[in-house]
Amino acid sequence: MIRSAHQLALASLLLLAALFAPGVSAAREYLQLFVTEPYLELHTGPGRGYPVFHVVPREASIDVLFRRTDWFKVRTEQGVEGWASQKDMQQTVLADGTRFVFPLGDRAGFTSHTFEMGVFAGEYGGATEVSGYAAVYFNSQLGLEGALGQYLGRYSNGVTADIGLIHVFAPEWRASPFVTLGLGLVRIQPKATLVQASDRTEDTAYAGIGVRYYLTRRFFVRAEYKTHYIFTTRNANQEEDEWKLGFAFFF
Amino acid sequence: METGLRVFLLTLVLAALPGCATVRGWFHHGHPSSEPTEAQAIAEDNASPPRVVEPDVSRRTIKVPKVRSRNIEVGASYGVLSIEDFGTNPSYGLVAAYHITEDFFFQGEWGRSTAGKTSFETLNGGVQLLTESERRFTYYDLSLGYNFLPGEAYLGRGHAMTSAFYLLGGIGATEFAGDKKFTVNFGAGYRVVPTDWLAVHISVQDRVFNSDLLGSTKLTNNIEARLTTTVFF
Repeated sequence: MIRSAHQLALASLLLLAALFAPGVSAAREYLQLFVTEPYLELHTGPGRGYPVFHVVPREASIDVLFRRTDWFKVRTEQGVEGWASQKDMQQTVLADGTRFVFPLGDRAGFTSHTFEMGVFAGEYGGATEVSGYAAVYFNSQLGLEGALGQYLGRYSNGVTADIGLIHVFAPEWRASPFVTLGLGLVRIQPKATLVQASDRTEDTAYAGIGVRYYLTRRFFVRAEYKTHYIFTTRNANQEEDEWKLGFAFFF
Repeated sequence: METGLRVFLLTLVLAALPGCATVRGWFHHGHPSSEPTEAQAIAEDNASPPRVVEPDVSRRTIKVPKVRSRNIEVGASYGVLSIEDFGTNPSYGLVAAYHITEDFFFQGEWGRSTAGKTSFETLNGGVQLLTESERRFTYYDLSLGYNFLPGEAYLGRGHAMTSAFYLLGGIGATEFAGDKKFTVNFGAGYRVVPTDWLAVHISVQDRVFNSDLLGSTKLTNNIEARLTTTVFF
């Protein structure tokens, strides 16, 4: 009886050990790279000012743990972890000898990227507006974008939501013009002091024109004009102008 | 007759011999027609170095693990907000940030607090300037942050954590006293990153907006100090 209890305890202990043992799997969890330059410098933090505390010699391998902005956290064969810069990582190769290629945040990235996001300050129908947008690009010229905005006016406040297409004419230009076209919703909240003050939601459609200007790294400025057609339940449709200037980045 | 047949067969074998040399080629490469003729081969020998046996290696397709990007930071905050004319009260909020470069990050915030009483209300017992729901102070903003002084913080002898003193500035809106106002914010914070996925912030931000609540329009400053814990994704 005691013996079987011991065996049971031992078996459960082994099972626990198996559960918590570091995973020895055939597939590599992290990308393995090899140093081709005389050495690769490892910094203590993800920034240009952090000191170099370790160097990885030529031919040695490193595991790439993750990337933060333009820095890569890597681990050497000896288990030393540190941060390598994007510039240095471009000089490393994969196991098959091909160069390690990854998206850089530079002018080429501005010309052709998949995602972008930004914030605008502007004017919507005479009211102050705050808005943000995100876009996903199918190619360097055509993308789908969504924007959310809030306008704060003297007579009414409101929230706008737009979704539409953007077409950039010459994405390789530093200042590249674009057009937008889409549909949206606007929720109008008249100020409480006015008569018949009830919130209402209307469908909208918009057409816009603008320009984006590359600053540096992953940043650009975006200026835009949109004309919104608000399909009201009244006889005449309403038309509102929107002007905005914003700051955006791509990734 | 028999001798004639032998001669015929021998000629046939002789004629077939050069062809046999390419037998391997037939089975392994399957392009006997594209094999160069003898004359061409000689010409080629004179022109270029001898042809090396083509390696017959099937390339393995290696699946390369993707490098994860950990630029997104999401967390919650707790602190105190001083609402101009309405006292200082606890506040709580949510924060999400995207690190664009080592210097700049983009941050979105949402927060809420409840205003206390003005001095006027406190002195005149029964007077209520705002209803309970109007006392709720809710803000959101979209800001740009700049890691002004990056560095390291040390915990004893064995632990070094990356840190940064940062500046913040942005725009947003505030809902208070039954109205929404365009709000400009600016501030500064200190971030410590003890592990690859965790960060702790202490920050102070001023939210400025025009208020016409107490008669005349005036610019109000609403300063908030808070402690934020975030997780990197």
